[in-house]
Amino acid sequence: MVSATTKIVNPMGMHMRPAQLFVNTASKFQSDITILYQGNRINAKSIMHLMAACLKQGSELEIECQGPDEAEALAQTVALIESGLGE
Amino acid sequence: MRIVDLLQPSRILLRASAEDQTAVQNQLVDLQMLSGAISNRDEYLEAIRAREAQGSTAIEAGIAVPHAKSQCVSAPCLSAMTLVNGVDYHAMDGKPSDLFFIIAAPLAGDVHLEILSHLMTLLMDPNFTKELRSATNPETFLAIIDRYESEKYPESPTVTQKQRPTAQILAVTACPTGIAHTYMAAEALEKKGKELGISVRVETQGSGGAKNILTSAEIAACDGVIIAADKEVDLARFDGKPLIQVPVSEGIHRPEALIQAAPKAPIYHHSGSVAVQAIENESFGRKLYKQLMNGVSHMLPFVIGGGILIALAFLLDDASIDYANFGTNTPIAAWFKNIGGVAFNFMLPILAAYIAMSIADRPGLMVGFVGGALAVSGATFSSPAGSDVSAGFLGALIAGFAGGYLTLGLRKVCDKLPNSLEGIKPVLIYPLVGLLLIGLFMCLINPIVGALNNALYNGLATMGNGSKIVLGFVVAAMMAIDMGGPFNKAAYLFGTSTLATANIAAGGSDVMAAVMIGGMVPPIAIALATTFFKNRFTQEERKSGPVNYIMGLCFITEGAIPFAASDPLRVLPSCIIGSGIAGALSMVFGCASPAPHGGLFVFPVMHNIVGYVIALVVGSLVGMILLALLKKKKA
Repeated sequence: MVSATTKIVNPMGMHMRPAQLFVNTASKFQSDITILYQGNRINAKSIMHLMAACLKQGSELEIECQGPDEAEALAQTVALIESGLGE
Repeated sequence: MRIVDLLQPSRILLRASAEDQTAVQNQLVDLQMLSGAISNRDEYLEAIRAREAQGSTAIEAGIAVPHAKSQCVSAPCLSAMTLVNGVDYHAMDGKPSDLFFIIAAPLAGDVHLEILSHLMTLLMDPNFTKELRSATNPETFLAIIDRYESEKYPESPTVTQKQRPTAQILAVTACPTGIAHTYMAAEALEKKGKELGISVRVETQGSGGAKNILTSAEIAACDGVIIAADKEVDLARFDGKPLIQVPVSEGIHRPEALIQAAPKAPIYHHSGSVAVQAIENESFGRKLYKQLMNGVSHMLPFVIGGGILIALAFLLDDASIDYANFGTNTPIAAWFKNIGGVAFNFMLPILAAYIAMSIADRPGLMVGFVGGALAVSGATFSSPAGSDVSAGFLGALIAGFAGGYLTLGLRKVCDKLPNSLEGIKPVLIYPLVGLLLIGLFMCLINPIVGALNNALYNGLATMGNGSKIVLGFVVAAMMAIDMGGPFNKAAYLFGTSTLATANIAAGGSDVMAAVMIGGMVPPIAIALATTFFKNRFTQEERKSGPVNYIMGLCFITEGAIPFAASDPLRVLPSCIIGSGIAGALSMVFGCASPAPHGGLFVFPVMHNIVGYVIALVVGSLVGMILLALLKKKKA
């Protein structure tokens, strides 16, 4: 299992469009991908869970990946968040 | 922020059907427009579509959450819809969508993230969505949301309990005059709110326009709304809020009860028209009164301005140049008479226009206005350009109410048209069909008026051989019946016709004198009543009362119209009897006039001035006393 801490940078936060993008990216991997935020464990492959987490600009979160392609999954998901989720 | 704070039962549409995504979007945006927080439907719909083009807002399991931020949104709002059949909303899981929540948010802030977050948390529970889909009425739907939301967010306070910047109770005060009661009620409500520790904010719709206008955000956040008004207030923006509606005097006298009652009041549902569905329990008579007063208060400036200029025309003219054209003999008099006349010509169309607008909202304005103008012109099918006989102010009243209710009916019928025609209703259908309807209606009414006028005129001609005193009573009384309509016109024409055969050197026609006095008594009687029996009149009426002395003395009967229009059943009989007695006395004293117009200014050339003045005073006093007896005391 690998994990990394990152921060939401895009001004609008994790609203629906970025969430979709994130879920699409996360779903490409076999590994389980979980976001830890404010003590909650969020399934990063579920758009509803992601949106329910209410991640805003500046929210600090931890991404946890476990599975055969965990390293690549972590790298890509962190990169996506830090690039501003396509915004 | 709680979902139940943003969603109103009126914006929940259950078990609807829609063919495709576009149809769903249209229906959802229509629901959102009911919030009053969105200023431009097309702009918002475009934003929703643009958002959809960037990626579907359908998430999974048949749920879609279309949303958009836009500058045309002033406060966050939410609507919901379920479909009996799912439609393809391009969901990621490829399934059709049948449960929709649409969100609108202002450009600034991240409030819609919180709404989405709350909503998603709840929607993850399959039991929740199952219950929502099986709900058959909006209240149940909302109750389900409330129940699950309270479970999931027990600590999350509703907006009500939070310390919040906006007021808990909102109020709108308005009275027909907009000078005193509007502000007294506002002050009483605000003061009482402070005492009770409840924040109260009041919008005053006074004569100078609306002040402290309530914002849609404030309306969205408030607990209840108080409408303390004696005239029409646009209630569309209060849709979905608890609302009580009372006369403005209640606002002054019972502020505490109103503030306590507002949050518990029934939820107000706006449905198109302001006037008719304003409040269920309002009596028909009270509605009529409010609609009437809306017309009268807008007409008043035309009467006052025009009346005074016409009076000045008589003052500045020389009657001896030509009695028949008194008022326009000299250029300066003609100028005043004509400018005043222009204002007078608008008086009745304005009366009808604002009565109709009060009934049917803005689409009614034009229909009523033209109806009033047709009443004035006396247009018929055979002489559409207008006939000799104006239907007068009673005709204009009919035109106003007919215009209003015809338009209202038209709007009802148009509700059945497809939504795609919504845009052309106000710019094409209402004006075109409304105009045709009122044109047909008035051309049906006017010939009746014309026939009545002819019959009256012939009746007077045969009476001319009988008792002079009775004739004097009748012609003078007729002048006061409709103040410019068929009765008035018949009497006046009969009077002027007697001038042709009268001996001008001997003072003129006795019938003409009786006619003139009959037209002078109503304004003077009203002016006297406003002076000596103030409590029978509204603030506005009291203030415009003195102008009636001038108009009465100048034989400008129209000065009485605003008073007669606002309370015809009491004012007209008083004026008719006062005028009749003055006319009879004028005959008894053998008074005669060589001029058809001019009032006080032609007294010097009349026969038996003293008798005429006595007749005028007696008639006016009788009118005044009757007004005092018949009219109820006002608060």
